Amino acid sequence: MIKIALLALTNAVAIWAGVVLVDRSRWIPLAILAAATVAIDFIYLVPRSWAVPAKFLVPGTIFLLAFQMVPIIYTIEVALSNYSTGHIATKADAIRQIKLNSLQAPANGKQYEMAPARNASGDLVLILHEGASGKVFVGTRKGLTLLSPSDVKVDASGIPLSAKGYKLITGAGLFSLDKELRGFDVPTQGDAAIQPQGVRQAVELQPTLRYDAAKNQFVRITDGLVFKDSGKGAFAAANNAKNELEPGWKSFVGLGNFNKLATNPLYRDPFLRVFVWTVVYATFTVFFSFAVGLFVAIALDKKGLRGQKLYRSVLVIPYAMPGFLSLLVWAGLLNDDFGVVNKLLHLHVPWLFDPNWARVSVIMVSVWLTTPYFFLVSMGALQSIPAELTEAAKVDGGGGWAIFRRVTLPLLLVAVAPLMIASFAFNFNNFNNIYLLTGGGPYSGTSSVAGSTDILISYTYKLAIASGKGSDYGLASTVGIVIFFIVASISGFSFYRSKSLENMR
Amino acid sequence: MTDEVVPDVAIRTVALSDVRTKGPKRRLKFKDTWWRHAIGIVGIVVSLFPVVYVISSAFNRDNTLQGASLIPVHVTTKNFTSLLQNHVADQSGGYSDAPYLSWVFNSMIVAGVTAILTTMLGALAAYAFSRFRFKGRRLGMMTLLLIQMFPQFAAVAAIYLLVYNLGNIYSILGLNSVLAVIVVYLGGSMGVQAWLMKGFFDTIPTELDESARVDGATPAQIFWGVVLPLAAPVLVVVGLISFVFTLNEFVIASALLQTNKHFTLPVGLYGFINQNYGQHWGPFAAGSLMAMIPVTALFLFLQRWIVSGLTAGSVKG
Repeated sequence: MIKIALLALTNAVAIWAGVVLVDRSRWIPLAILAAATVAIDFIYLVPRSWAVPAKFLVPGTIFLLAFQMVPIIYTIEVALSNYSTGHIATKADAIRQIKLNSLQAPANGKQYEMAPARNASGDLVLILHEGASGKVFVGTRKGLTLLSPSDVKVDASGIPLSAKGYKLITGAGLFSLDKELRGFDVPTQGDAAIQPQGVRQAVELQPTLRYDAAKNQFVRITDGLVFKDSGKGAFAAANNAKNELEPGWKSFVGLGNFNKLATNPLYRDPFLRVFVWTVVYATFTVFFSFAVGLFVAIALDKKGLRGQKLYRSVLVIPYAMPGFLSLLVWAGLLNDDFGVVNKLLHLHVPWLFDPNWARVSVIMVSVWLTTPYFFLVSMGALQSIPAELTEAAKVDGGGGWAIFRRVTLPLLLVAVAPLMIASFAFNFNNFNNIYLLTGGGPYSGTSSVAGSTDILISYTYKLAIASGKGSDYGLASTVGIVIFFIVASISGFSFYRSKSLENMR
Repeated sequence: MTDEVVPDVAIRTVALSDVRTKGPKRRLKFKDTWWRHAIGIVGIVVSLFPVVYVISSAFNRDNTLQGASLIPVHVTTKNFTSLLQNHVADQSGGYSDAPYLSWVFNSMIVAGVTAILTTMLGALAAYAFSRFRFKGRRLGMMTLLLIQMFPQFAAVAAIYLLVYNLGNIYSILGLNSVLAVIVVYLGGSMGVQAWLMKGFFDTIPTELDESARVDGATPAQIFWGVVLPLAAPVLVVVGLISFVFTLNEFVIASALLQTNKHFTLPVGLYGFINQNYGQHWGPFAAGSLMAMIPVTALFLFLQRWIVSGLTAGSVKG
């Protein structure tokens, strides 16, 4: 019964989604949707022996395909393109936008007195009075229509007062209209357009660039300068390739982004710096966490030690707390002006505002967060080492240190080494530890978005979303792919070493 | 989704101290053990220092970071009330927009739904791989492992663009939608946790399935009626680990959620405190404390089970 209900629900959602797609004329997604829905219904309704395991695998697989596979494939596609701020749109959109951007008011252009208004369906229109001819038009995003003089009233200064069939916007309504008016153009003959200037005036603008579709180029009307399609998603001037028309469009650049990371010093140097720091950060974090955790575990691993349970429960608290909260709290504690660490220790260390101190702080806090994990793991591993072994070593005349080095540590590492590798891979991508503590900063004055403590993943994030310098999705995805290869090699290595593949029985 | 690497898929329960053999207690001489206690006490001080500080700041009347001290001077609950009523004073004399309760609510929805569905979807897949022998099974498992090696958030640019474009068609799955965040997280539901469960399912004797089948049970009935109840402990662990992971997730949530009242707790608190350590410290400490206590308590309570899951492969930040 539940199965039928869930299936019905799935189908209902699919039909709704399909209707929306039909509405938008998106035929390829519609075909995929339809095929998927039919396949799902078939698997769940037709009794076949091969369909039984599929019934259990399909739900997870759908999400896996949609939100793991598709992003991976999309990442590869974006990495091979110049997708970035200024290269977002398709070429056709870019051409339209360039034409609009090239509009300028000619010396003796037409001037209009204007009154913004709403038509019957509530859309914004402009009632335009051309002073020179006395004609009144209504301008929409589609074009200009002449109004009959008997339908309109114009005041002494020429501003339209009323127009039959339109509701003029007055008073307070005008002030909130600012943004809407700024993006409003009324196309007229050729590529010219009328644009509002404030809320009472409008002027007709003439294009300064002409697009030649046959030759796939723009020509500057004043001096005939040609802007050719550069093949890199932009029109560039024939005499100077750096002089590009804004905006460009998204286009395929092949391995251009990888090339940029490998050879262009502007990108290669920050990338290498970030890469090296990522490795250093992850290595130090794991090493020190393990060392401290093991040390404390050895100290507390003593049969009959009083308060052992108490020590253990308190020591895991940093691990039990939600990590993001600890990080934000630490960022406050390490604040150099009024952070409590400086206050208590009577120091003036710029913990988070000096590049090197920030690196030290990031590692320290990460060790604080990770140590309890290795403490727990080491404690467990120590106790699983048979006492006979260490006692036998003692009988053979081994000292404490020798026993630890030759017997305890090797046995311990067998259990803990895979976890260290996992922890390394995790810290390699530990976005929170970096971003919530230092935001990747401080910045050392270079033009790159990478700060002194940025690791690869926070670098990608900034490239894509939060740099304040525009988004470079192409480069962000390229770095994402690099991360993938690194993490995959680490995982692959540890798989190979461990016996986990046996689990594939 | 937030769990990256599976070094060892098999459940290798690293023996935890709880299984220590109980012998007759010998009194240890303090002379021999004082250094152990010294290390333990230093460890406790270092571990608890931030926590104590947060508690004190939360109850301190002076809500700035400068005025904070280890022992609150003037005890007050003002920090709590101002945050809960979204009435936190700004330095300019106005009020900051800090819808703390919305953040908590969003986080609970995202983490709760993701945890439940991840466990469910993962358990279904784990059951299929554990109990059925079908063509392409090995290949399927290998492929899954490979795909899951790709850290989902490394594709953050692609996910952002994908959701942005999806939102142009289905606004309910666009930017700023909690639902979009959840479905993106579910993309990782066949990850590490599914392997953990498969390992556990493998240890449940197939004879139980057999006898149920003889009694005429369908595979679905066996799954729901026999295997799942027996696997309850591992389901709880997986659900909890997934909950904690999701609660901590920042990259994808901050990329997809863009306005204050849609934020999850990490994204919201980060925006609230970042650059404002001077002014917002008190209310921030109050908010942290309220969020910290239940999660930490839950974690400590279920510590033994969670840690055995974590040592078996997944890593918490």
